Amino acid sequence: MTKLYLKNTLRFFTLIAVQLLVFNNLGLFGYINPMVYPLFILLLPFEISGIVVLFLGFTLGLTLDLFTGSVGLHAAATTFLAFMRPVSLRIIASPREFEAGIEPGINDLGYRWFISNTLFLILMHHFFYFTLEAFNFSEVGSILLRTVLTSLVSVTLIVLLNLLFKPSLKRK
Amino acid sequence: MKNLIQFLIKHAFIFVFLLLEVISILLIVANNSFQRTAFISASNGFTSGILEASSNVTDYIGLKEKNLQLANENALLRSKLKESFLQGPDSFVTKIDTSLRQFYIYTQAFVITNSVQRRNNYLILNKGRRHGIEPEMGVIASNGVVGIVNEVSEEFCSVISVLHKKSAIDAKISSNGYTGTISWPGGLYTLGNLDNIPSHAELKVGDTLLTSGNSAIFPPNIPIGIIQKFELKKGSSFFSVRFRFLLDFNRLDHVYIIKNMKQEELLKLMGGFEND
Repeated sequence: MTKLYLKNTLRFFTLIAVQLLVFNNLGLFGYINPMVYPLFILLLPFEISGIVVLFLGFTLGLTLDLFTGSVGLHAAATTFLAFMRPVSLRIIASPREFEAGIEPGINDLGYRWFISNTLFLILMHHFFYFTLEAFNFSEVGSILLRTVLTSLVSVTLIVLLNLLFKPSLKRK
Repeated sequence: MKNLIQFLIKHAFIFVFLLLEVISILLIVANNSFQRTAFISASNGFTSGILEASSNVTDYIGLKEKNLQLANENALLRSKLKESFLQGPDSFVTKIDTSLRQFYIYTQAFVITNSVQRRNNYLILNKGRRHGIEPEMGVIASNGVVGIVNEVSEEFCSVISVLHKKSAIDAKISSNGYTGTISWPGGLYTLGNLDNIPSHAELKVGDTLLTSGNSAIFPPNIPIGIIQKFELKKGSSFFSVRFRFLLDFNRLDHVYIIKNMKQEELLKLMGGFEND
């Protein structure tokens, strides 16, 4: 149990650092700023209660907000992601039962499930984020375009990051 | 009462979600109207410390190129010194010109954080109240306008970038002097809009946009961008002009903050007509 806490705490800070120091400086085509930190929420174990996930999402977003100066924006989007997580777990068919101890990553549930789950949740997260950022429905075309393009890059990077974490998970 | 509590417990997930969203949105709104929270949080010791350390490393990587750029700029400025000019044959009488008084002064600053991808972009610079920085000062880089100082703390200041929903800077077209306002519609950080150019103005692609000097913030004739295309929408008496920024906002690190010595006096006069 302690190991689980430790692993998730470490992942929380690693993802924030990676997001801030690497991906926020990436700026592909000056337009796409991929967001990979939601991987923290995606990989939380199933046995954690939904309310705790909501608070964790809010904390994660707010921590990032403190560094980027966009107070509330990441917090709102990540809380929304945490809210949608149970919905996604219900509608996307899983190859295995969600039993205690399995982690919702590629390792335990396979590529197909992980990619569809990530794509769904990241689209929700990015759409919410860009809508709040623009705060203006007349920019809906630009919001949708950014949501789709950024989501594709984010999901690709999240899958790669999950593969990167994989060896350490196997040793468990 | 009991029923209410049961109801709340039953739907706790949704209520907690709504509560957290309301908190987030209140934070965003408070931040939009005052831009205060963003600044306080981004420039307080800890976070700025980390960001400054990261910026120190990245600065070092681009050092060679930056040195070259600064050296070029120094050369340009040197060539404008009085000593660089020959005196004409007719200046028998030398006089000390007391009619010139300092109007703008510049101070140099480093960019600690900057962004171009968001709809509303800000910068944090490493100069603050201790260095005499005040809100509403202009910020430029060696080849273009960067933004306007927004909030100032002891050691740092935040700048509303030109790439911001609320940014509106007066500009003029170099060839004919018509003035308009530049804004940024979002999207690509290399392109901006110029509004309020009347339909009878003669425009051509490739004309340079300069600051007009109409505001009390920027001195005149600082380059902004180059006109890329323009069109006159049916029924409109103003052109919609699209231009390319001369400055690469994604590669800023040395900037200059401009203090207008007479800003207070000018703003007081300008405030005068707004009250009418």
